[in-house]
Amino acid sequence: MRRWWDRHGVAIVLGGVTLSAAWLLRQTQGAALFETYQLITRPFQLGPTKEERLTDSRVLELRQRLVELESQNQKLKDLLSYAKTTKQQGTVAPIIGRSADHWWQHVTLGRGSKDGIKVGSIVMAPGGLVGRIVSVTRNSSRVLLISDATSRAGAVISRSRSMGFMRGQGSNRAVLQFFDKVPDVRRGDAVSTSPVSQLFPAGLAVGRVESVNLDKSPAPEAIIELTAPVSYLEWVIVYPENNL
Amino acid sequence: MTNVSLFSPWARQTLNWAVTVGSVILCLMVLPARLPGMELLGIAPNWLLIWVVAWSLKRTALQGALAGLALGLIQDGMTSPHPTHVLSLALVGILTGRIQKQRYIQEDFISVALIVFGMAVVGETVTAIQYSFIGDRNLSEIWTDHQRIALSSAILSSLWAPVVYYPLNRWWEQINSIEQS
Repeated sequence: MRRWWDRHGVAIVLGGVTLSAAWLLRQTQGAALFETYQLITRPFQLGPTKEERLTDSRVLELRQRLVELESQNQKLKDLLSYAKTTKQQGTVAPIIGRSADHWWQHVTLGRGSKDGIKVGSIVMAPGGLVGRIVSVTRNSSRVLLISDATSRAGAVISRSRSMGFMRGQGSNRAVLQFFDKVPDVRRGDAVSTSPVSQLFPAGLAVGRVESVNLDKSPAPEAIIELTAPVSYLEWVIVYPENNL
Repeated sequence: MTNVSLFSPWARQTLNWAVTVGSVILCLMVLPARLPGMELLGIAPNWLLIWVVAWSLKRTALQGALAGLALGLIQDGMTSPHPTHVLSLALVGILTGRIQKQRYIQEDFISVALIVFGMAVVGETVTAIQYSFIGDRNLSEIWTDHQRIALSSAILSSLWAPVVYYPLNRWWEQINSIEQS
């Protein structure tokens, strides 16, 4: 027994230590790894370039007009005694990493709980909805993109209010399955999140209808092209849940 | 390298483990990054799979399985535990450990690249089979995804395999030869 232990003891102890360390990393969702990754990539997280600044200022101008219109809209809603909603400032976060596996559509952001990001926060980008925060460490957070196959959301055709639910299909496509047998939908229609969606607030831009298949069973389907160019994004904006 | 042989056995062991663990951490750090030239259709090399193959090539099936288990658990933490990566990586470790390299294959870059190519396909297939059993995705979608992912991941992983394999293999050979003498 003693000789056996002398021969294999070190290997067994080292193996045990390795496995428990791996288990610990799994249970903490790799928090330590993502923190380290954030630390290492910090010098490479570039600020916006000149061209981006120009576009940004244009966006800012449009956004100010939008705020103006929204506040007008809010006033009108108040006059009609609609339920009042508050608006909150979002957190701008850089994308520092992509998915650690090919089957999942994740991105890693360089901001975490320190900047007020929580699990369930909504992630937006130029072009519309990007996804939802699924895990947070102190300085980083992980986003499940709406293009992921496990990501589902209620969606509505903005023009005709035909409702359905949407699931991701990798890269920048999603499938919208309608609740109606004969939905009013055309190529090029804008798609946004619907009021019945529980994970996302209503009315966020999602994409455009690329093709329609009304004969599909059990429900008619439309392929949606997502408007946010996720593969080229470098920055996103994170909003607290239900506060958009 | 003569310095290493002057170390006491304990220091050498510790150094060996530090290098091994360090290489794993390096692989983990590259995993979420998409550096230029490392991407095909949005898919990057499967660094953990390359590491498991490099580790298991000159070890037993049991050691390969253990490495696959440990790295699989870590990757589960970094993505999602359903379906688990443990199965695919452990299987890769076992298969690589069992290949009779001395008899069939020469010890060079090409054969390592070929093994990684095959193992990447095996690993992605195991994942696809798990998805089919879980049943939250469409079967036809899973297998179209599988083709795309398995092929790009296999090509990229096999091309980048020597980067991980060559230095690690050299280091382990050195340590082994010192210990034997």
